[in-house]
Amino acid sequence: MRAGWRLCALALLVLLCAAAQVSVGSTGATLGALFGDDAHARTVVLELRAPRVLVGLCAGACLGVAGALLQSAIRNQLASPEITGVGSGAVLGAVVASVVGGVAAQPLPMAGAALVGGVLGGGVLWLLAGVSGDVAVRGVVVSAVLVGTTLVLLTARPQLAGAVSRWLLGSLVGRTWEHLAPLWPVALLAVVAATLLGGVLDVLAVDDDHAHAVGLAVVPWRSAVLLLAALATSGAVAAVGATAFVGLLAPHLARRLVGVAHRHAVPAAALTGAAAVAAADAVGQLVHVPAGAITALLGAGVLVLVARRTGGMG
Amino acid sequence: MRLLAAAAVAAVLGSLLLGEPVVLFTGTELEQVVVWQLRAPRLLLGAVAGACLGTAGLLLQESLRNPLAVPELLGVSSGASAAVGVCVASGVALPGAPLTPALLGAAAGGALTLLAVRGATGPAAVLLIGAAVGSACQAVLLAATAVTDSREQGVLVRYLLGSLTGTTWETLVPVGVGVLLAVPAVVLVLPRVRVLRLGDDEALSAGLRPARVRLAVLGVASLLVAVVVGPAGPVAWVGFFAPRLAARIGRPSAGTTALLGALVVVVADLVARTALYPVELPVGGLTALAAVAVGLLVRRRA
Repeated sequence: MRAGWRLCALALLVLLCAAAQVSVGSTGATLGALFGDDAHARTVVLELRAPRVLVGLCAGACLGVAGALLQSAIRNQLASPEITGVGSGAVLGAVVASVVGGVAAQPLPMAGAALVGGVLGGGVLWLLAGVSGDVAVRGVVVSAVLVGTTLVLLTARPQLAGAVSRWLLGSLVGRTWEHLAPLWPVALLAVVAATLLGGVLDVLAVDDDHAHAVGLAVVPWRSAVLLLAALATSGAVAAVGATAFVGLLAPHLARRLVGVAHRHAVPAAALTGAAAVAAADAVGQLVHVPAGAITALLGAGVLVLVARRTGGMG
Repeated sequence: MRLLAAAAVAAVLGSLLLGEPVVLFTGTELEQVVVWQLRAPRLLLGAVAGACLGTAGLLLQESLRNPLAVPELLGVSSGASAAVGVCVASGVALPGAPLTPALLGAAAGGALTLLAVRGATGPAAVLLIGAAVGSACQAVLLAATAVTDSREQGVLVRYLLGSLTGTTWETLVPVGVGVLLAVPAVVLVLPRVRVLRLGDDEALSAGLRPARVRLAVLGVASLLVAVVVGPAGPVAWVGFFAPRLAARIGRPSAGTTALLGALVVVVADLVARTALYPVELPVGGLTALAAVAVGLLVRRRA
């Protein structure tokens, strides 16, 4: 039951983070303003800060779950949205949507385009590597090429340069309730489904022979898991952009905290992902950079450590 | 070889004469200016960029004995572009810019990768660590892009992919200095790399220290990449496929690789400039797409 208590503590920590972030900002409005009668402070909290924090939490949870799903299904501790082409494909999809539809593209079609891109990006890697030892290396190349393609699109709309670099990096600036609307059902679905699939994930993470031995149909289950990961990733990417390495970082932290059983590790990865994005956004606001810059720098460190430990093949 | 020379001549003539206006024999004064002040420096920068990146790719691939060891995946290119981008964004003018920040950034990115790699096992780990360093550098550049005002964003975007737009003869001065420094360095390091390619044990028995040679290669590659990134940005993936093409036509020497790299960039820039006129594509985008094609071909052969 220790894992359960730790999960609760983690959830409490995330709540505290969120509450603190809602209360901090340049105007001095706090969470208490919700119950006060200062209309201005109420607007700041309710219309500016609250949706931003909630979008960050949901996106972080999505990315954390996606990372845990990918790491189990591909059996590689380095698998994460940005290393499998799913994340960069989703960014490409979202950028295509905003180039075609202009800056004012609606969040829902954006999420759809991101999903298509994410599935295609993951599909390319699947064709190139399958479940093999060098999936991480090939995935890095696929990702780099997808990012390059995204940048080529910039030439079609040079005025989107700032927006596109925010997509590629991940930023919570200007997120509203409109962005939260398509995101929270995805986050909820991903967390609940992945937690329920915990037993399947445990088996997939070992090896195919073991899976056959316990009577699991490997191919359909693995495909379903990968699709769910692509869905979670693209939901998060459509709302906030790539937010690099959250999907890599969160499952590793989660396994450290609650152990390797996915029944606990998946919700823990969701919580650590949410906390990571929220904290990165808070730090980013202090130093005036997008949240994705903070997670990319931290996550690169984690990637180096994991790559060293596993020799790149884990 | 004769075919290659013919292709090179055709590419040079094409880059000088094609475009809007098409100039067959330089006539009016305007056409003279277009050819000699706009197209010629651009052609030269493209050729130098391709040659430098191709050679850098060859050196890195041979010394690490890994076909995926390219400047893009070792933090060298992105370190250089991040340094230049941050300087542009923050308005800091180093003496000798953009060569000096590019050189510092390339060396820092590559050195960070080597430090992080220390003691790690297997070529896959090396590449992944390089990719991690690379994406951290790219995050720095993207953050710089995101926080600057829109006037400079166009300048910064070229450091993400590479573009030869707006090259003048003045741009070429630091490039010339860099090339003058780089050529003797390449000549010095190349025979050692050839030995290293046979294996670490063979290199040891020939009296070389593999770690030192790799460090020297990294320094030379940083210089070659910095020469390009300063004025043009990292023309993506040329260092990946120029050595591949050279090996494919059976001459994996440094000279052929440099020539092929130059040819690829010049042709890609010709296409980038004229295909969708008046919209100009970034040449790095075209070379990135070419890399996908080459990668798929190699994959099918393997």
